[in-house]
Amino acid sequence: MPDPPARDEDLVRRYLSGDRAAFAALVERHERRVYNLALRMTGREEDARDATQDAFLTVLRKLSSFRGEAAFTTWLHRVTVNACYDLLRKRQRAPLLERGEDDLPALEPPPAPDHADASSLSMDVQQALLQVPEDFRAVMILHDVHDLRQEEVAAIVGVPIGTVKSRLHRGRIALARAMGIEQQGRVSQDPKGPPASGGSPGAAPGAPRSGERADAAGPSEGTVSP
Amino acid sequence: MSHPEDLLADYVDGTLDERERAAIDAHLPGCARCSAEVRQAEAARAALSELEDVPVPFGVTGPVLAEAGRRFERRRGVTWERFQWAAGLAAAAAIVVVVALNVGGEDAQNAAAPERTTAVAGGTGAAGGAEAAAPGVIPFAGIERQQDVSYDEAGIQAVAAQAADAVVAAEATPGPQAAFASTVQDLKERTSLAKDCVDRSGVRGPNDVLIRLIEAKFEGTPAYIGVFSEGPGAEQPPDHIVVFVVAKDDCRILSTASQRIPPG
Repeated sequence: MPDPPARDEDLVRRYLSGDRAAFAALVERHERRVYNLALRMTGREEDARDATQDAFLTVLRKLSSFRGEAAFTTWLHRVTVNACYDLLRKRQRAPLLERGEDDLPALEPPPAPDHADASSLSMDVQQALLQVPEDFRAVMILHDVHDLRQEEVAAIVGVPIGTVKSRLHRGRIALARAMGIEQQGRVSQDPKGPPASGGSPGAAPGAPRSGERADAAGPSEGTVSP
Repeated sequence: MSHPEDLLADYVDGTLDERERAAIDAHLPGCARCSAEVRQAEAARAALSELEDVPVPFGVTGPVLAEAGRRFERRRGVTWERFQWAAGLAAAAAIVVVVALNVGGEDAQNAAAPERTTAVAGGTGAAGGAEAAAPGVIPFAGIERQQDVSYDEAGIQAVAAQAADAVVAAEATPGPQAAFASTVQDLKERTSLAKDCVDRSGVRGPNDVLIRLIEAKFEGTPAYIGVFSEGPGAEQPPDHIVVFVVAKDDCRILSTASQRIPPG
C-alpha cells in the first residue's frame, strides 16, 4: 500500500513546528468543501468568497490552540458555518424571511422537474434554500449536500443529535414548500398541514413560507394556511 | 401510533432499524400528515443531493496564504527583527538573487550559474562586507526530468534532507558546483512551465529561493517537485528547506516536506 496522504492533524502539527507549506496544503485540501458550504449557506459567490477567507483566517489565527480534541474537519466546518452566520448577519440578510416578496430574487414557480435542466434546477434549489432559516439550512447542507453523518453535524453545529434530526426534517419540509413541492392531494385530507400543527416554535420554516408558497405555486393548494 | 416526528428524518435517510421502519411503514398509509411530510422531505433530500460542487474561483485563498506567510515570518520573530535594520541593501542583494534566478533561467540555465554566484558575492560585499559570499546558495541549474520515477511522502522527505545536506556543503565551499547528482537538462520551456506551476500554487514565500526542480511523479500522479531554500532574509543563510509537490495538470499541491538546515 502506498503511503497515505498526510492526515490533517499531522499537517497542523507540521505547520506549528515550522513547516509553512503544511498550511497551504491544508487550505488546498479543504478549500473546495469550505467554499461550497459557504456558497450554499449564503447563496452569493461574493459572500462565499468572503466567508471562505474569513473561515481560513480564523483557522490560521486559532491553529496554535487547536488541540485535536475534535477532528480538524469538524472544527473547520464549525468555523465555516460561523463565518457564514457572521456574514449573513453583517449583510442583514438574515431577516430575509421578514422581507416582502419583492426582495426575494427570482422566486419563480419552479418548472416541472421533468423539464428542468440540471443548472436551472440547482438554481431553484439554491433560491429555495435561502428561504429556509439558517439553523435549519446549515444542518441540511452539511447532511444532505455534503453527506456528513448526523453525529458529525451535531458536533459541528453544537446541538444534540435529536435537534439535528428535527431540524433536518423540518428544514426539508420548508425547502420542499419553498420549491413549490406540494403535498400532492394528501393535503385536502389533512387541512391543518404539517408544520403549523407539528413543529416546535422553531418550525419557522413552515409558517412564513406557506403564504408565499401559495403565491409561488399558484392555484394548486390554497388550503394550507399558518 | 402518534405522529412519529422524531423518526421521520431517519426514515427518509433510510437509516432506521428494521423494527422502526416497519412501524413507520404501518403508520403512513393511515396518516395523511406524515405521509405528506415524508413525500416532501424525500423530494427536498433528492433535490439537495443533486446540488453539485462548483470549483473555487481563482484567487479566493490567495490572501489567506499571503497572510499565512506574513504570520509565519512574524513567528520567526526575534531573528528576523534583529536583522531588519540591515534590510535595505542586503535585502536588495537577496532580490538580485531571486531575480537572477528567475530571469537568468529564461536565458541560459547552466551558463548563467557562475555569473549569478558572482552577482550574489558582489551584492553582499557592497551591503556590508560580509565575508562569506552567499553562504549556502545553490545555483539553480534547470529542470531534472525523472518522469518515470514516482516519489512518495518518504521520497519527498528524502529530497528535502538531501537538499539540506547540499546547502550545508555549499556553505562550506561556496561557488558553482554540481549540487545534485541527477542529470540536469537545460530545457527553458519546461523549466519555466514548471516554475510557473509551482508559483501559481500560491505557496511560495518571499524568501524562498528555488534551488532544484524535478519533473517526476508523486504517487503515480505526474508532478513537479520544487525545492526551495528558505531563510530569515537579509544576509542570513537559509535555515529551512521546503519542498512543494504540485500536480502537472492543474498545479494543485499534492504534498509538502520541510527540513531544517543545521546551523553551520
